[in-house]
Amino acid sequence: MDLTRYAELFLTESREHLSAINHLLLELERAPTASEPVTAIFRAVHTIKGMSATMGYAAVAALSHELETLLDRVRHGRLSVTSEVLDACFAAADALERAIESGAVEGGDGSGVGVDAAIARLRALGGAVPDAETTRPEDGGGGEGPTGQLVEVRLEAQTPLRGARAFLIVKRAQSLGRVHSVTPALEALQAERFDRTFSLRIDTLADRASIERTIRSVGSVEHVAVEGAGAGADAARSAARQAADAAAGRPARHVRMDLRRLDNMMNLIGELVITRGRLDALARQVDDAALHESMDQASRLISELQDEIMLSRMVPVWQVFDRFPRLVRDAVRSSGKEVELVVEGKEIELDRSMLDEIGDPVVHLLRNAIDHGIETPEERRGAGKSAMGRLTLSASRERSSVIVRVTDDGRGIDRGRVLAKARGMGLVDETRTELTDEELIRLIGRPGFSTAERVSDLSGRGVGIDVVYTRVRGLGGSVEIKTAAGRGTTVTMRLPVTLAIVRALLARVGQETYAVPITHVRETVSLERTRPRTVRGAEVLPLRDDVLPLMRFRRLLELPAADGRGTQVIVLEAGDRRLGLVVDELTGQQDIVVKQFDAVRGGAAIFSGATILPDGSPALILDVGSLL
Amino acid sequence: MSQTVLICDDAIFMRTMIGDILTQSGFEIVGEAETGVQAIDRYKQLQPDLVTMDIVMPDMGGIDAVREITRFDPEARILMCSAMGQQALVVEAIQAGARDFVVKPFQPSRVLEAVQRVLG
Repeated sequence: MDLTRYAELFLTESREHLSAINHLLLELERAPTASEPVTAIFRAVHTIKGMSATMGYAAVAALSHELETLLDRVRHGRLSVTSEVLDACFAAADALERAIESGAVEGGDGSGVGVDAAIARLRALGGAVPDAETTRPEDGGGGEGPTGQLVEVRLEAQTPLRGARAFLIVKRAQSLGRVHSVTPALEALQAERFDRTFSLRIDTLADRASIERTIRSVGSVEHVAVEGAGAGADAARSAARQAADAAAGRPARHVRMDLRRLDNMMNLIGELVITRGRLDALARQVDDAALHESMDQASRLISELQDEIMLSRMVPVWQVFDRFPRLVRDAVRSSGKEVELVVEGKEIELDRSMLDEIGDPVVHLLRNAIDHGIETPEERRGAGKSAMGRLTLSASRERSSVIVRVTDDGRGIDRGRVLAKARGMGLVDETRTELTDEELIRLIGRPGFSTAERVSDLSGRGVGIDVVYTRVRGLGGSVEIKTAAGRGTTVTMRLPVTLAIVRALLARVGQETYAVPITHVRETVSLERTRPRTVRGAEVLPLRDDVLPLMRFRRLLELPAADGRGTQVIVLEAGDRRLGLVVDELTGQQDIVVKQFDAVRGGAAIFSGATILPDGSPALILDVGSLL
Repeated sequence: MSQTVLICDDAIFMRTMIGDILTQSGFEIVGEAETGVQAIDRYKQLQPDLVTMDIVMPDMGGIDAVREITRFDPEARILMCSAMGQQALVVEAIQAGARDFVVKPFQPSRVLEAVQRVLG
């Protein structure tokens, strides 16, 4: 039987169980005497063990077996949940994850990823191996039951060295498949601490008769009984069946789908949208009512199809957020601080690829908050705050954007230090004694600018917030930072709901057309009807009661100034910041398919990607966040 | 052609007795060894179908010899000869690659059964 085709199912299913294990461990940490989490973790570990044994991932099976043994002791009140026990369990869960990923993805057996160390740690907690205790409990819990076939063996009454004979039988059984439990435990068997009967559970493709024959061939065997999964490949199938059952058991019916397919669909609908634009332009040149009607209908259908595909790519943010409580816990433990993490808006949905992309920035922000933002308990008490810091990660929907926000109630960004560093680097005038909010934000967003003096395990090696800026802007989003001394810092990331298709305003500058994502466009005005002024050497645009900074696109592109006729101003907006951008001409609105590209770092990275226009010509997409 | 056996035991008594049991059943004793080192040399030289191996022998014990022989020939069929109370050593020998074991005092029927199992 070819097990490789089960590998993907195994991986998907194991990941779900691992995620559950991490959550339950956190739950257990909060309430160490609760029995539900232990039972639930046990069940999840047990399932992973059964599946991995079937897949032949020995390291995964061995580690999950060891973890299961420990949990069983906890479950039966023979071991209490101390912080050492929890730490060992967390470490085991991590090693398990690495082993599973390396086993299933690289086709290895998952060894060499710290599994041995994790096993040793678990064993150390177990103390002496209890006598004559079953190596693995019979109760698998949860109704899925133990996998494999149960083999009961009775030795002849006069068998010399029963222990060695039993050992030989177990060893012979291993030639048939994976023996994953022996009762009494193998150690007890070898030491002859059993009467004449013992049992073992084996995952094997061999049928009942050949199991019996093999066991008998060892000699001194009076009786063999094989029961359980029955003949043949059942054990191997059970892993796949478990996965299928889990999928079928959900209230809504789902199918699993290769993400690459979804990406392909997205690309295709993108091309279709572009073609529609071109077709529409051509149809307009023909005076034919029937053609226009058909064109309109096709256009509507394409829009609906686009919406459906976009929706199918949407996943709730918890799929990524769920790993953060664990991460925060680990970071907090090594920091000596007390931090409570609150996660809000888990059900908010975001495009799958977008969600994957924001994971790293969020991790960075959370770590930053723990490492630099939130104070030590003593410091906090001294400042009249509760010893426990509060860290909030929230997601919310705002028009066509998703807002992801990380808030801490720590000390805020140290303006003094930012100023000192900025002066040292020659970024601000030597004589400056204060920084405006704008300047503060701009400074910390500079590549390589970080006030962190010590390199810590938590927030990395001098990697600043600029990484977050770069990533989020690359996604067509924007970042806002608000900080108040002694009260904390809030970082807000504003993201488009999807990466792939955005509505854009098209603007001509010189010979080229540029696309400005409509999410950032507040309005457009004709430059001739406004009266730009120059204030302290900078051009500004009075607009109703407001005065906006004015930026000329031609200048950004180092083109000569235009004659000014027909010149338009696009009022850009991100958060509460606004800016007037002067372009030669507005040429229309269009759904564009974003092709990401990596802007040249360090240069004027004002473009986040490129697109193809209905007439087939390329257009660069303006990164509004970088201008504001 | 009869199957060949190498007998490894430091006691002549034991070698003789095992030799007799096996010869009577049609085996050909092609060699004997008194120490572990000898056992390895003779095995490499004779490549017998079966080896009987005492656990405790001078200079190199039977278990180390099993390890060496199975490293040389993973298919080697080795039957351990042990005494009561050597359970842990027998387990170790099995882990090292021995196929089966018989326990002294030897009953011819048990020895032959074990030999059949090892060769079967």
